[in-house]
Amino acid sequence: MSDDPFEAIKATFFQECEELLADLEGNLLTLESGSTDIEVINAVFRAVHSVKGGAGAFGLEDLVRFAHVFETLMDELRSGRKPCDDPTVKTLLRASDVLADHVAAARGAGAPVDPARSAGLVAELEALTYGGTAPVAAAEPEEDDFGFTPVAMDLGAFEAPAGLPDLPDLPPLPDLAALAPLSAPAPLPDLSASAAAGGWKIVFRPHPRLYASANETGLLLRELARLGPTRVELDDSGLPLLDALEPTDSHLIWTIELDGDASEAEVREVFDFVEMDCDLSITPLSGDGPAEAAPTAVEAESDASALARAASSELDIAALLASVGAAPTEAPAPVAATPVVAPVVDPVAPPPVAAKPAPAAPAPVQAAPAAAAPVTIRVDLERVDRLINAVGELVIQQAMLAQRVTESGLARSSDIGLGLEDLELLTREIQDSVMAIRAQPVKSVFQRMPRLVREAAEATGKKVKLVTSGEDTEVDKTVVERLSDPITHMLRNAIDHGLEGPEERLAAGKPAEGTVRLAALHRSGRIVIEISDDGKGINRPRVRGIAVERGLIAEDAVLSDDEIDNLIFLPGFSTATEVSDLSGRGVGMDVVRRSIQSLGGRISISSVLGKGSTFTLSLPLTLAVLDGMVVGAGEQTLVAPLAAIVESLTPSEADIHYVGGVDPVLRFREAFVPLVDVAQAMGFRDQPAALKGAVVMIVETESGQRAALLVDAIHGQRQVVIKSLETHYRHVEGVAAATILGDGRVALILDIDALVTAKRSRTPSRSDLQMAS
Amino acid sequence: MPAASAIRTLVVDDQLTMRALVRTSLQQIGMRDIEEAPDGEVALRSLLVQPVHLVISDFNMPNLDGLSLLRAIRAHPPLSKTAFIMLTGRADRELVQRAVQFGVNNYLVKPFTTAQLKEKLEAVFGPLT
Repeated sequence: MSDDPFEAIKATFFQECEELLADLEGNLLTLESGSTDIEVINAVFRAVHSVKGGAGAFGLEDLVRFAHVFETLMDELRSGRKPCDDPTVKTLLRASDVLADHVAAARGAGAPVDPARSAGLVAELEALTYGGTAPVAAAEPEEDDFGFTPVAMDLGAFEAPAGLPDLPDLPPLPDLAALAPLSAPAPLPDLSASAAAGGWKIVFRPHPRLYASANETGLLLRELARLGPTRVELDDSGLPLLDALEPTDSHLIWTIELDGDASEAEVREVFDFVEMDCDLSITPLSGDGPAEAAPTAVEAESDASALARAASSELDIAALLASVGAAPTEAPAPVAATPVVAPVVDPVAPPPVAAKPAPAAPAPVQAAPAAAAPVTIRVDLERVDRLINAVGELVIQQAMLAQRVTESGLARSSDIGLGLEDLELLTREIQDSVMAIRAQPVKSVFQRMPRLVREAAEATGKKVKLVTSGEDTEVDKTVVERLSDPITHMLRNAIDHGLEGPEERLAAGKPAEGTVRLAALHRSGRIVIEISDDGKGINRPRVRGIAVERGLIAEDAVLSDDEIDNLIFLPGFSTATEVSDLSGRGVGMDVVRRSIQSLGGRISISSVLGKGSTFTLSLPLTLAVLDGMVVGAGEQTLVAPLAAIVESLTPSEADIHYVGGVDPVLRFREAFVPLVDVAQAMGFRDQPAALKGAVVMIVETESGQRAALLVDAIHGQRQVVIKSLETHYRHVEGVAAATILGDGRVALILDIDALVTAKRSRTPSRSDLQMAS
Repeated sequence: MPAASAIRTLVVDDQLTMRALVRTSLQQIGMRDIEEAPDGEVALRSLLVQPVHLVISDFNMPNLDGLSLLRAIRAHPPLSKTAFIMLTGRADRELVQRAVQFGVNNYLVKPFTTAQLKEKLEAVFGPLT
């Protein structure tokens, strides 16, 4: 073994810790919501116990010490010696945060744990455990001798120690009859017996790796011969002709008949070091049928696959359950005639339906939910992306083909037309399925939030309850990863600015504890994240005042409530009068908005004074396709991201004015917005477009500014596959990416922000425009 | 004197890490035939189709804990001769004493070294080759 196997297990441990910590927090939150289920308390104990156990194995002393104190209190709680009341659960939640910090520190992924914080919680936990009195023996007993005499196993009969007292409080034993499968168990090779008089038939087929690791088949054969007389047969029928022979390949199969009374274990030992690198079958020589051969016919191949399976234990268990669960449904063939081999488990078998082996008998224990979990495989992300890319090409090809066929005048009802229709459906289905591979539940982001809320509540002295829903809503992996920061920021914001302090809430007739909701849901092909609070809502006069003060709007600007609320997303806007420790970390809501928009999303807010505010994020489910508006501008076809378009209209000459006699602006809803002639801005033509027949799209940039884009025509709305222009050509100002249309032409996807900003640099500043209005 | 490579073992623990640690140590001792189960119930189901010589099991697991697994094994004649080693924490004296009453063969305190595991195995099986 070249690498230290324990290092690899350590990585597994930290991975498992993540799950344990998530379970721990989830169960603690269940307790916090008033549950007193002993199973939940037990699960919390187990999680802490497991973290401690693993940490002990790797000598992570700090982690062990903290986990031990935690575990000791949990032991008191699960035994009922101490009550699991609300203050206790609150302490446990904070302890779970510190435990997570200890794990991160041990992993080297986080800053060292603040010793004072850790010690403070240790003191709190111990106070709860020992009820204020100093612990008598907080340390674990060093000695591990329990006055125990090992019971030797002579592999003979096991006699239970006599004279044992009765143990009345035992839970009922599982009903073995209910668990027992109909088929006979695989017999166990007898360790003591040297058995199988009459010798063995050994079929040995080396893999190339056996030779590559410098093993010599001749030596193995010689070793076998020492166990008894052998007859060796060589099957060289697989050997290719000399000029086709690859010298590192393996083509030979040996069949060895070994006489004498060697045990199977002895035979197996010969192949001990090469077992993984060959196909090996060892059967008794005297065996004349598969049934009799069975007892020892444990195929090396299935052994090897068993080992491989065991490497991924979830798979293993699910498969094992499946094999057990499936047993009774098999035809009850006579046992003797059934070749009994170690259960061959197909690692790619479909996830087992949690089938109970004996439906008639009431099962005494519940099936492990984990065991029925879907079978998963880990795949390199790059492979998935390659597949997504290929499917993107397929979609384009399919669209091109369909267009060609239409152009060639073939009827839709023709064989080819119908076939194409099927192809289109199939292509869509493939595309959806492939996109689904990259989809992940938002749970990974959501489950980090309870802690954040606890810390924010602690820092502000407010009482906050977080309610989440829709954790299983799925969205593209990249979107999930980039959701964390905006959600973090908005939650902090809701607690810091949205919620009132307990006294203020009580005075307003609300419960002292504020509620913040975090919800995810699918709505019309997009994912929507809502963050709402039941706080004081947006103080519009104040927001408006600040916006005027910062020069963001004109003093006499007429704004709807909605528009006022959305002012908080403008750069340079921050309602915090003093920079608070919590949300005033130099980033405002404009940063949140920008990061959401960079994902093709939108953010909006609605608020009711005295009742609270709701932030709504709407994001595309994937970054590989885009909802776009296909437009024509100066002989070219372009795509404008639908998310940026507010509305479209046909302008009239009277609505267009010229600032300084040069730069056109469009009067839109009693305000002037800069007008950009797309074809001119992109350099498709020199002359401004004729207004007659032209269409204007009102767009909104990431910074919330509006502009009017003048195009020649709008062709329609379409989902397009995004192709990077940079990887195929180079970056072009005003162009975000490219796509291929159904007719095979390349269409550029507009970068709205760049277009508008480029225009702005040549136009009067926004405040000038607003003055003009 | 049994060959370690011939002993078929089932490792039962709800923690993947612990199963991997036990497995790796067993492999270093020379064991080849090692199965795993995440709790007592899965272990029992597995044992009924594929008995083993040795069960190494944790105490505290969901569904069916280590003590119940031990009792079930001892109570079921085809399995009752299975050697059983209990994994325990240092403070689990009481549990070990109960396990003795149910016929546990030996116990192993976590954290353990490969040498300690081997010692515990040999106390049950005699010297291993």
